[in-house]
Amino acid sequence: MSDRVNKDMGGLAATLDFDAELMLRVKEGDGASFAILLEKHRLPVIHFLYRMVQNQAVAEELAQEVFLRVYRSRGSYEATAKFTTWLFRIATHLALNSLRDGKHRRLEERLDDDSAETPARQVSDQRPTVEQRMLHQSRLEEIRRAVATLPEKQRAAVLMHKYEEMEYSQIAKVLNCSESAIKSLLFRAYETLRARLAHMA
Amino acid sequence: MNCPLEAGNEGILLDYAAGKLKADVLTQMDRHTESCSACSQFAGTQATVWQALDNWGPAEVSMDFDRRLYARIEQDVSWWTRLMRPLNPLFRHSIPLAASAGVVVMAGLLLNRPPAVPVAPSPQSAQVEALQPDQLESALDDMEMLRQFNQLIPDNAGPKM
Repeated sequence: MSDRVNKDMGGLAATLDFDAELMLRVKEGDGASFAILLEKHRLPVIHFLYRMVQNQAVAEELAQEVFLRVYRSRGSYEATAKFTTWLFRIATHLALNSLRDGKHRRLEERLDDDSAETPARQVSDQRPTVEQRMLHQSRLEEIRRAVATLPEKQRAAVLMHKYEEMEYSQIAKVLNCSESAIKSLLFRAYETLRARLAHMA
Repeated sequence: MNCPLEAGNEGILLDYAAGKLKADVLTQMDRHTESCSACSQFAGTQATVWQALDNWGPAEVSMDFDRRLYARIEQDVSWWTRLMRPLNPLFRHSIPLAASAGVVVMAGLLLNRPPAVPVAPSPQSAQVEALQPDQLESALDDMEMLRQFNQLIPDNAGPKM
């Protein structure tokens, strides 16, 4: 898929972003550049995949596959688009496939426990009370369910727009849509979320 | 400013709620929402959604994520590369050294090349070159004698020499 993605990106990037330059160095056999790319993009990719499939173990497994594909396709890499566009296109493709296969449901061990969402440990007198924690967990569960009910493409678009702060044009390239289609997609997605989450005000 | 909802320009409303608009457009939107209840309501609820999504923090990542990834990458490497890897440092230093030594040896051979040796003539040409004038004269005399001898023999007396 990665090879095809490389070719499908269309349009030459006017200037190479730093990540693309690093990837070109990986192509030349520089392992240290791959380590830098991994360090930089590991968390965004895992977080995106986690919010997509809502299962920590599956998200990590998919993230491994993303970076493995990046490494495997280094030989055919061409910097025709932003590196992150390519990276998230691979990640989205894998996440959508996983959701369609329902793989994440088969895993018995759900590692998406509360620890990730628990607020950071604070000094003792400012630690949230049990009620506050329960309220936080309840809200969080509601948010997760609301996002999970979105159609897959809308979900991916919202996550890239909200958490990765991508431009409409970049999301459009990742999802292989026009920019206007993405705006419309996002509008519908937020409309659904507004209906479900507006009471949280 | 035209109403973004009526103009089908929802992106501006999303950016407005997300606080991503540039200052000049933001001012226009502020003015517009004062008079447009639909956009005002949209922006308000969208901001609520935005804040709600902020609560969904990132997940923790396994400590051994990189180790597992590199192990999988390692599995991809061919057996030949793996076999040759321990020798890489050796090759890295020895190949330039060997190349330099080769250049020096070649240069030495070219500079110390012995003078050109004439090619030995073949045995046949050697024989021709070794023939002396008196030998040639003798051979011609022999041929003349043979011719005269042949003329003395009658035609039906058998084969001539």
